[in-house]
Amino acid sequence: MYFFLQIATSGIATGAIYGLIAVGYSLTFMTTRVLNFALGMWVMLGGMLTYSLLVLHGIHPLIVLPMVITALFLLGLAAERFTVLPFLRAGSDVWVMSTLAVGLLMIDLAEIVWGRSPTPVPPVLGKEPIYLGQVSILPQQLIIIAAACIAFLALDLFYRRTLTGKAFRAVAYSGEVSGLMGINTRRLQAVSYAAAAALAGFAGFLVVPLTLAEPQLGTVLGLKAFAIAIIAGLAAPRGILVCGLGYGALEALISGYFYTGIRDILGFLLMILGLFLKPEGLFGRGVEERA
Amino acid sequence: MKARGWLVGLALAALVLLPLFVQGTYYRFLGIVVFIYGIVAVGLNILAGYAGQLSLGHAALMAMGAYTTAILTKALAPVAFFAVTGLHIWLGVIAGTAAAAAFGALLAFPALRVRGPYLAMVTIAFGWVIFKVLQEWVSVTGGDLGLAAIPKAQIGPYIFDTQNFYYVVLALFAVALLLQQRLVGSQIGLAIRAMKHSEIAVSSVGINVHRLKVLVFVISAAFAGFGGTLFAHQQNYISPDNFQFFSSVFFLLAVLFGGAGTLLGPAIGAAVLTLLPEMLHDFEKFRLIVYGGFILVTLYFLPNGVMGLLERRGAAPAGGRSARHGVQPDFAATAGASLELDNVSKNFGGLQALRDVSFRVAPGSIHALIGPNGAGKTTLINVIAGFYRTDGGAVLINGQAANISSMHDAARRGVVRTFQTMKLFGDMTVLEHVLIGLACHSGAGFRLLGRVRAREQAARNLAAARELIALVGLSRFEQTPSSALAYGHRRLLEIARALAVQPKVLLLDEPAAGLITEEIASLAEIIRKLRAAGMTVLLIEHHIDLVVSISDRVTVLDYGAVIADGPPAAVQRDERVIAAYLGPAHALA
Repeated sequence: MYFFLQIATSGIATGAIYGLIAVGYSLTFMTTRVLNFALGMWVMLGGMLTYSLLVLHGIHPLIVLPMVITALFLLGLAAERFTVLPFLRAGSDVWVMSTLAVGLLMIDLAEIVWGRSPTPVPPVLGKEPIYLGQVSILPQQLIIIAAACIAFLALDLFYRRTLTGKAFRAVAYSGEVSGLMGINTRRLQAVSYAAAAALAGFAGFLVVPLTLAEPQLGTVLGLKAFAIAIIAGLAAPRGILVCGLGYGALEALISGYFYTGIRDILGFLLMILGLFLKPEGLFGRGVEERA
Repeated sequence: MKARGWLVGLALAALVLLPLFVQGTYYRFLGIVVFIYGIVAVGLNILAGYAGQLSLGHAALMAMGAYTTAILTKALAPVAFFAVTGLHIWLGVIAGTAAAAAFGALLAFPALRVRGPYLAMVTIAFGWVIFKVLQEWVSVTGGDLGLAAIPKAQIGPYIFDTQNFYYVVLALFAVALLLQQRLVGSQIGLAIRAMKHSEIAVSSVGINVHRLKVLVFVISAAFAGFGGTLFAHQQNYISPDNFQFFSSVFFLLAVLFGGAGTLLGPAIGAAVLTLLPEMLHDFEKFRLIVYGGFILVTLYFLPNGVMGLLERRGAAPAGGRSARHGVQPDFAATAGASLELDNVSKNFGGLQALRDVSFRVAPGSIHALIGPNGAGKTTLINVIAGFYRTDGGAVLINGQAANISSMHDAARRGVVRTFQTMKLFGDMTVLEHVLIGLACHSGAGFRLLGRVRAREQAARNLAAARELIALVGLSRFEQTPSSALAYGHRRLLEIARALAVQPKVLLLDEPAAGLITEEIASLAEIIRKLRAAGMTVLLIEHHIDLVVSISDRVTVLDYGAVIADGPPAAVQRDERVIAAYLGPAHALA
């Protein structure tokens, strides 16, 4: 039992990161039906920036965090303007290519600026594990879980309680009609893209002390987060958190009880199966196609 | 068309002659890589470009081909018989292609249920699983180290080196392009392209969309697997790194860059995206930057890919030049069937959309179904046409319980519909729309062999299609993409497409919606002609003038139940009908 709890706890911390990134996919999908296919690279950028400011420049983490988030938000605005907007009307698939292209650019840029070798980043609150009974947890993992919960709570309140949040959901339902109702859909589209980038940056800030700072750090994270967003349903932010945490725990348990090699095989097979059985996602509401 | 044929021939000739002028094996090696990637890209183009099914897992399908042939040929190579005959290579290539095709079929099953980004995710996950299995199943795949010493391609005792393999792969690439062209130009190709725009409409003309989708995945995967086998025998060494997620991205980029849904797009995309990084050897550090920047710049200036710019249309209409006249379409001979509804019910959750609906549509008559908005008219059509299953009651055709299981099943039995919200096939031409409708009865086949029969069939279909297009008065627009048609003409095109299926019962769902008076008059004329030809027509309509002037009988639906049924004049005076439309006060007055 102790072993189980121990593994599940650290798995949940990883899952919180997945959830944070995954909800970024949902943000853009809900407003524009566009997905930033390179969101993992944005996580990497957030992580590398954190490394740069924290380790190389010795800036306090509480100052680094807003810097990273602001930087990624602004970059996200720019990326949306120049690599998504021009293609929104062009054709359905083009944005897949353009967002991926931005990701490729980022990987190479990161390699040029920071080099390829992985570098450790010291956790904010040190490396001494905290004991909850017998179960130990790293302070950074606690921070991650707390931060993810706060982020999701804020997002949920935003969607349900604020006018802008309701506008987001309206645009998700029908951009055209929302426009007629006087919602500035164009601005919402840009902001949602930038917010997704900022969230990815936040995830990068949180995760980089646990991984290592390297240009490839976000690729697999982004992919798994994508899987989670899809399993949960792209239009179900709450479900995404649940699925993220669950997937993280499941992964950790598979590695713990079987072996790490089979972890992703089982995880992704489950995902395919889940989509086959419930195509709109576990928490998504199916939109019946009309004839 | 002609000019492009010459250009392709010229390009092929140049590729054949090129090695004579360039020294060293390096360029031949590059050429081989381009051709192999080109073959995989052709497969992906059929799937993503023509059928509109995005895949980011093609590298894994390629890996299936490569690993299958590698394992098989390595095992067989020591046998003296194979060493002399080289047959193990052939076996390996066939087995590899088949293995990939089998996995393609497997991949198609989730694709039957999901689309768009969801499908992209399924293919990514599939690629990931295969990649991980290759890494972890060390005893068979060699794990991260991969498989080395894979035999070279061989015919008899003759072993191909890079010098000669160049020509083999070039020829195979040319064959792949040719196969693609034949597929796209065939009846099945039409259906595949139509599926990209509306799967529902494709099934409404009697085509089994599920089977079609599995077929497309299998074909596409076979190309990828075949490319993979060539790759293995060329490289003689393969490892999981060759088939990463980024390789799948590469293939999709190649297709999009070259022009998705164009015949030569994948060739151009594979060539440019393979050669460009090679030319950038000196800029090793900036490779991805130049690559990514290049993609963005291309997207800005070539939104439909290189070929999209050069080639407006993906394929010539089947048999477009061999028009023959004097072939009569069969539609005039179609005998209309009777349609009977016996206590049909349909619920959506707690909402009872249809309550014990019963009425009979006489064969060869025009029967109108009217009722206020939300009365359940379209639901009823959906039930009759097999889009919904009934929750009770039966639909009878010619007095026999139909037990229709799906929309294509209904269409094949002669129950064909149009759609209230039109479902046309985007940029496909008017002629192509009608040809797809004809596929159902002309035995749609991917006819690579038996060309003479196929040509005759194509000519018959073409004549029949023209007849139907003339009937609805769209002859002038035969080659116009449906997306460029005026609204009223689109409605007529929907009817022409449905007629091509040779319906015994035609279900028209608000065909006059949005039409102007003159257009309604010509629509009425067309429907009368259909009745004169013996067809049974069930017409949902809000234009009461039209209903009264052409229908033999009218059924009125309100809140999912039949409230009146009879000749138009009688129904018009029915108090319950007046109440349903105008409120009870008017009924009393």
